[in-house]
Amino acid sequence: MRTAPTPSREETRANATFEALIWSMSRPGRLRDLPERGEAQIIEALIDRECHVFCADPLLMPKVLETGARIAALAGADHVFLGMLTDLDGLKSLSTGSDLYPDGGASVVIRARLGEGSRLRLTGPGIETEECIHIGGVPEGFWSLRRDLIQYPMGFDVFFIDGARVLGLPRSTKVEML
Amino acid sequence: MSVTPQSLKTLSRAWEPMSYGFLDASAKREMRRKMIKAVAVPGCQMPYASREVPMARGWGTGGLQVSLTLIRPNMRIKVIDQGADDSVNAASIRHFLARVSGAPTTLDTLQADLIQSRHRIPEEKLNEDQILVLQVPNPEPLRPVQPNMSVARQMHADADYGRMWLQLYEQIVRSGRVMQGASYPSMVNGRHVMTPSPIPRWDVPKLNMAQHLTILSAGREKRIFAVPPYTRVEPLVFDDVPYKVEEHHDLTCSRSGAKGFFMNEIPQEDGSSAYELSDSGFGVKHIQQGIGDAVTLGKTWYENGEMVE
Amino acid sequence: MAYVATRGGEQAIEQAERLFRAEMGEITPERVAEIKTALPYLIDRVMGEASLYDEDLAALALAQAGGDLYEAVLLLRAWRTTQPRLHVARPIDQGTLFTHRRISAAFKDIPGGQVLGPTLDYSHRIIATDVLEGARYIPAPVTPAATPAPAHQPSVAAWQAENDLVEMPGFDETAPEDIPDVTREPVLFPATRAHRLQSLARADTGATLALGYAAMRGYGQAHPTVNELRLCEAEIIVTHPKGTAFSAGRVKVSQAEVVSKKGDTLELGFAATLGWNEVKCISAATLDLNSKGAPKGSPTEEEFYLYHTEGVESSGFCIHFKLPHYVTFQSSLDAMRSAKKTSKTAEKTSTSKEPAQ
Repeated sequence: MRTAPTPSREETRANATFEALIWSMSRPGRLRDLPERGEAQIIEALIDRECHVFCADPLLMPKVLETGARIAALAGADHVFLGMLTDLDGLKSLSTGSDLYPDGGASVVIRARLGEGSRLRLTGPGIETEECIHIGGVPEGFWSLRRDLIQYPMGFDVFFIDGARVLGLPRSTKVEML
Repeated sequence: MSVTPQSLKTLSRAWEPMSYGFLDASAKREMRRKMIKAVAVPGCQMPYASREVPMARGWGTGGLQVSLTLIRPNMRIKVIDQGADDSVNAASIRHFLARVSGAPTTLDTLQADLIQSRHRIPEEKLNEDQILVLQVPNPEPLRPVQPNMSVARQMHADADYGRMWLQLYEQIVRSGRVMQGASYPSMVNGRHVMTPSPIPRWDVPKLNMAQHLTILSAGREKRIFAVPPYTRVEPLVFDDVPYKVEEHHDLTCSRSGAKGFFMNEIPQEDGSSAYELSDSGFGVKHIQQGIGDAVTLGKTWYENGEMVE
Repeated sequence: MAYVATRGGEQAIEQAERLFRAEMGEITPERVAEIKTALPYLIDRVMGEASLYDEDLAALALAQAGGDLYEAVLLLRAWRTTQPRLHVARPIDQGTLFTHRRISAAFKDIPGGQVLGPTLDYSHRIIATDVLEGARYIPAPVTPAATPAPAHQPSVAAWQAENDLVEMPGFDETAPEDIPDVTREPVLFPATRAHRLQSLARADTGATLALGYAAMRGYGQAHPTVNELRLCEAEIIVTHPKGTAFSAGRVKVSQAEVVSKKGDTLELGFAATLGWNEVKCISAATLDLNSKGAPKGSPTEEEFYLYHTEGVESSGFCIHFKLPHYVTFQSSLDAMRSAKKTSKTAEKTSTSKEPAQ
């Protein structure tokens, strides 16, 4: 094999999607562009038959099924696609991992309105001093529920997406409502 | 709900002599999922399904899998071993990365998008858009006090680092100082003790509140962990016994004339020692500058032999 | 420390590899075919440790690695890991195994009979030096048995279980596609039984023997009796997405059941691997038998033996010590010198010159 392989379109998109995801998870509170709009590219980049997925959005379900992932109840899911979050009732069973294996905590994708809504102050790893952002479209009580569910290092990690923009919120970030 | 029916064809994929970046899509997804977890809990070792790659275990296969996952055709790659670009294994890894990705390579820290390194962090400061991948032989900082992985994991869960502290204390009592050489155990984000990989003590402060993302990956031991930008990394020290980096502040590189950086000691026949910069790319730039070539020397973590706060 | 030096490093490794390959000359399809026919037990061992059943690829890997087993296994594993996982085959029932050899040390005779099959067990190990002097070594023809042994045999443990002699592991209801796969997820401890048996199946033969032997010599609690040892072929049945089940071919497998008396019952240890490899199966089954309640850090503790029998990892780590470590060494040297300086200042006794390293 003399010449280097060239990436397929899917490979390029998955690679760019992940670069945006890891960048935003490393810099909570800072917006980053995804290659495209919506969750499909995230599913392609992260999900396969090794995953247990909870998907609240019926329109996304075919995309999830195509990957061969197993469909799970929220409590048993390592990847969770909530779509637009309307109520918080089910969220309490979200997997937060164990103290031995914090990696069991779910990766959660939520659609939100970034740049409007509640004003939040973020501090923690990835943030030099503090980041102040607006996140709208999540039900009232989400932030206090998040605080209750996270018992660091147990917890869950969120990607908020708004069109083609993404914002990462790892469990290590402290969020204050302003 | 319409679902694409599966056939052997949809389960399989079109034949290609090699996937882009060697790793297949499923291996990359595993790396991606676990890198996200590693960043989300800084310093916490996350288990991952480490794949066999065309290099022997212990030769950088963990770092390699991270690089192969991140790589794209326009990502500029630098690979160093012991600080040197010209070390044979660094040459081998760089050659492999370029061969399976077509990505350009560089020896200049400032030009690199991704730096895969064994045992060193370059002397020039990394910026926000750069990623440092450190190869890790042993991801478990507790191994000297607890070889059993299951027990050590429980100790991390309980943040039970008493034996770690005791070991350091005993060294001070016995030898008057902490005897830990490289791999100095460090507290990350105030919660997890990690090994920074066998980088010298000189390099550990570079991880503290750095601008760049560092990913540490142990392929053989199947553990990945990370230090996100702007994350506290504090070497374990006692209040009355400060952290000491190697005493290289006053050493001068015999080849480039640079002073106040981490050096390789070269034994001389007359019984003395000569010194040369361990960061070979940085050394080359100093030499080039010396002969009047136009080169850009980046900002360094250390100035005049002292860490810049 | 220059650009030239960097290229020099690349040239050096290139030439070093050429030097290695020059010794062995051209690798031809004929050479690969000859390795495959002449060395089936070596092929089996390599396929087992690589967890990849492909005799041609195994022979090629051996040719390419010049017979270095660790290199050959790594070649195969590195290839294997890039292949898509298409399907999970149906579980194989012991009774359906096409059996070539099946013996039990626990009973003089067993249902189905003792079937010696192909073995060197009772051969006299005399090397045929006359071959080197030009003689031909032509194997004597096999005389077929008057009544051939049945191809399908029940498991000895199944008979013991019926007679309430052995504790069989509970039937595992896990669907085939949900069985944990050691090549797709890291082994965590305590390991699932699937992970333990899969890891042993791909373990290094020598390492498995060393730790199994330690257990046999008394560094384990249970002394094994070979309940059943089997060399056989297994039919790989897969289901087409459209629903039709079909055979994708046969693979050679070997398996061992060992038992040990515990109170009024027998405990069972089991191991199986791709290819025919009796030493590995008996050793691995002995480790499995001894795992339960083994003290931490003992050779029969699951974490201990699974980590240390993984041949690709152990051999890789071993040879990695050839890589330069001068930065870490420098760091230790600095700590040593500074500690010495401190103690000298304190004691003011020693005047000896500090050694270079």
